[in-house]
Amino acid sequence: MKLQPRQQLLELWEAAARASYRDRVWTWGGRDGSNSISDAEQLLCFMYPASELPGFRLDTPDETADDVLAALAVLGDSVEIPKLLLRVMGQYLRTYTADDGRPLFSGGSYFRPLDDEAKVTPEQLQLDVVDSFSMSVTLALGTLGFLKVFRQSVRRESIRREIRELEDLASKRLSAAMAGLLRSFTVNAFDPGSTAGRALLRTVNQTGAPTRRVLDDLRRELRPVRAGLRDLTIGSGSQVDLDNENLLFECGWTWGIVKDAPDIVTPLDIGPQPKGVAADTPFLYFTVNALVGIADLFSARTRVLSLLNDDQITLAQAIQRRWDLTQSYWRTIATYGRGTWPLEDIPWRTVDEKESDYYSLGVTAMVVQSLVNNRAADVDLGRVAAVLEELAVRARIIRRAVPGDPPVLMHSPGVPINLNGSDALGPHLLWVVSDFAITLLKRTIWAASIAQNTRMRERLVALADQIWRHIMLRRHTDGSAAGLWDQPGNVFTDIEVRDEEPSWYFSERVVEFLVSAATSSGEPPLRSPQLVELALQMLGEAEHLLDQELVTRPLIGGQTIQPKLRSIQASLQRARAIVSDRPATAQALINDALLGLERLSAARDSASEAI
Amino acid sequence: MLVFAISDKGGTGRSVTGTNIVYRHALQGNDVCYLDFDFGSPTAGAIFSVSAVARGTRENGLHHYLRGECPQPRRVDVWAESDREGLRARPPGAGRLVLLPGSEGGGELSALTDEVVGRCVQLLGRLDEEFDLCVVDVSAGRSFTAELVLAATVRMPAIPFRWLVFHRWTRQHIIAADGLVTGADGLLDVGTRFGHDPEDLRDRIRFVRTAVLEPDAAELVGLRDEQRAWLSACDSELRELAGRHGVGRTAMLGKIPLDPVLQWREQLITDEDVLASKIANAETAAAFDDLAKKIVDDSAWEGL
Repeated sequence: MKLQPRQQLLELWEAAARASYRDRVWTWGGRDGSNSISDAEQLLCFMYPASELPGFRLDTPDETADDVLAALAVLGDSVEIPKLLLRVMGQYLRTYTADDGRPLFSGGSYFRPLDDEAKVTPEQLQLDVVDSFSMSVTLALGTLGFLKVFRQSVRRESIRREIRELEDLASKRLSAAMAGLLRSFTVNAFDPGSTAGRALLRTVNQTGAPTRRVLDDLRRELRPVRAGLRDLTIGSGSQVDLDNENLLFECGWTWGIVKDAPDIVTPLDIGPQPKGVAADTPFLYFTVNALVGIADLFSARTRVLSLLNDDQITLAQAIQRRWDLTQSYWRTIATYGRGTWPLEDIPWRTVDEKESDYYSLGVTAMVVQSLVNNRAADVDLGRVAAVLEELAVRARIIRRAVPGDPPVLMHSPGVPINLNGSDALGPHLLWVVSDFAITLLKRTIWAASIAQNTRMRERLVALADQIWRHIMLRRHTDGSAAGLWDQPGNVFTDIEVRDEEPSWYFSERVVEFLVSAATSSGEPPLRSPQLVELALQMLGEAEHLLDQELVTRPLIGGQTIQPKLRSIQASLQRARAIVSDRPATAQALINDALLGLERLSAARDSASEAI
Repeated sequence: MLVFAISDKGGTGRSVTGTNIVYRHALQGNDVCYLDFDFGSPTAGAIFSVSAVARGTRENGLHHYLRGECPQPRRVDVWAESDREGLRARPPGAGRLVLLPGSEGGGELSALTDEVVGRCVQLLGRLDEEFDLCVVDVSAGRSFTAELVLAATVRMPAIPFRWLVFHRWTRQHIIAADGLVTGADGLLDVGTRFGHDPEDLRDRIRFVRTAVLEPDAAELVGLRDEQRAWLSACDSELRELAGRHGVGRTAMLGKIPLDPVLQWREQLITDEDVLASKIANAETAAAFDDLAKKIVDDSAWEGL
């Protein structure tokens, strides 16, 4: 199935509107109930395309596209839709603010007990989760941007007042989410001889080199990261002793606020800062998740609309440093050595000796991101592409699953992650992630967008198309969630669970993917210098022939030959105008012109054959 | 409810749209009347197919009344006096449909005196009591007539009124429609001078697009793909222009598609025209029906 981002997004909007707005009442929550993350995901299904893609804007009612209005007809007309969004955003922001004014980032119904019998305690339901921080950053920035533009179309004082209130709330939530991200960052230092140390060394040492040398080399490679981490001042992760060069370390985000994390000192009003319980070690899943949300903080849109105030910029800079360091740390580890990359040794093994294809996918995310930043050569991208392809095969996305195939469990129920430290407040908690397929697709299309040559791009796009076919099959086909995700039972016969309600968790990720696919198809096509060169040479010949034709032909009024030449002239002019952007199109025009000129010249030749 | 129909330029289809709106409103069961204040060319009679007053009336026209030449203007019951077979009998459930024709050869108002405004206030007040909806055709562009009704409505604070500005969907019309409302000596400017609150007046003004060619309309089927691509690009450019001039979708009450019947003969579009003879498009009738509902629907006027 060929990917058509605009049509797919409109279909998705129609389905999401139908599922969310039942009997003209907004319904929160899908299959996993309503909580600060799921509700943000549900809102982002609408807000994310609306803020990222110009063709999907809802903030300027005068300019909303007709097909967008048709898709969202359930929600109302071009004026009612932004008003409804305003109301719903208000509901969200007010629901997830505690009585003392502190924004809440609780995992709520997404938390699962390790032991099925155990009951999650109310204190645990209230625990802040990095997923929610990350989702809130994206949502708050989307909301602020929306309000900023929408305000210009509003004259009614009551609506303006509501906009101002929501701006304050969203800005506060953004500040609190940033503070939360700073308080859940962590650096874990360990001895090379410890279990963790040995696990890390085994991961990086793909060539069987002597441990001593690997250790020295790794220290040298990680020196800039270590120096950067040592200089961190505010937030968690700054108290670890990194001066001891003998210790190895890893950095990233844990699942929630770190136990005993210091408060963030900031003039921003973010309410009282909650105590944390999360273990002080990075989790691969949450690290990747945090990195994705954080990227929005320094996107071009955030800067252009100046969505952050000065104090928020200070926090954002502190987060950005962690972002850079984490990115660089994981890239160094994942692509370490001259032989096989540790990344290519699937499945990835974490320092607490857990193995899963899911972790390989997480590390791939960071490697692709660093390739984006470094404008890496296609050679490196080729290796990443091979990893992505293999993951797609191993996860039975582009291969059929046999009965009892273990990888199917990764899609449903998902990969369980132990939330270490959560048992301080009740039973041990789990976080179940089941977004493997869509995350793989996101990485693939992302990698495709940075490919420099056509063949690499084709390869990745073909893979993306295959994964997309799999994902499309996993849509709900009936019921109130029809058109939304996720129904893995459609694809995997082993899975007997059938859900009535949509999973906003999965659907929101599909939206993110479609948005990035739409963005990349809006860019000019990939073109090779050879093609431009060839087109220019052909253009040279065609223009020369045309000049000859104009010189040799006598001007006789009433002959139809002149319009013919004029149209050839016009196509050649057009070809010259577009040759550097669309060389193949230019060639098509030139071919046509050359053919016309050739017919004239052939006709003349035949005339001169007479004896 | 008083509704004043005005257009930025002549030939926008103001009269034909206005009459069709009252016709539809009457069919929806309301008592309505139509006042032909277009003193330059009072042709509403022709649209209603009342031949006796096709180009205004010789006696007791609105012009005569405002000049104080007659105590009451003439009233024409369209259901009884129309020449069109389809309009001759009042359909069951429909309300009254009354036309107050202008004076034949009356000419524009020459000056705005206190007496004229007083008579206008009296007339509108009386009609508002009697009818659910009065549509007043205020001719095109800036005129004494427009000033007259602006002055009259200030004196009747208890009577709700609204303005409809008709314009065609072209570059020049969009700019002109904006100018007519917000420009110098425009409705807001003059209204404020007479004592209207500009914010309040603005909330009572909505635009109606006439003779709109939608990019997906049936009329465009015969066009070449290139022409269609061009049209759709033009349309989005106009949309952006309209937004910039405050004539965009938020300020719009409705739009009337281009229809051959309206184009070649200004007339009421009856259900027979759509269903029996099929000379008119169903979309056009639906658009009039929709406008006739929205014109009195407060939620449609709420705006942003």
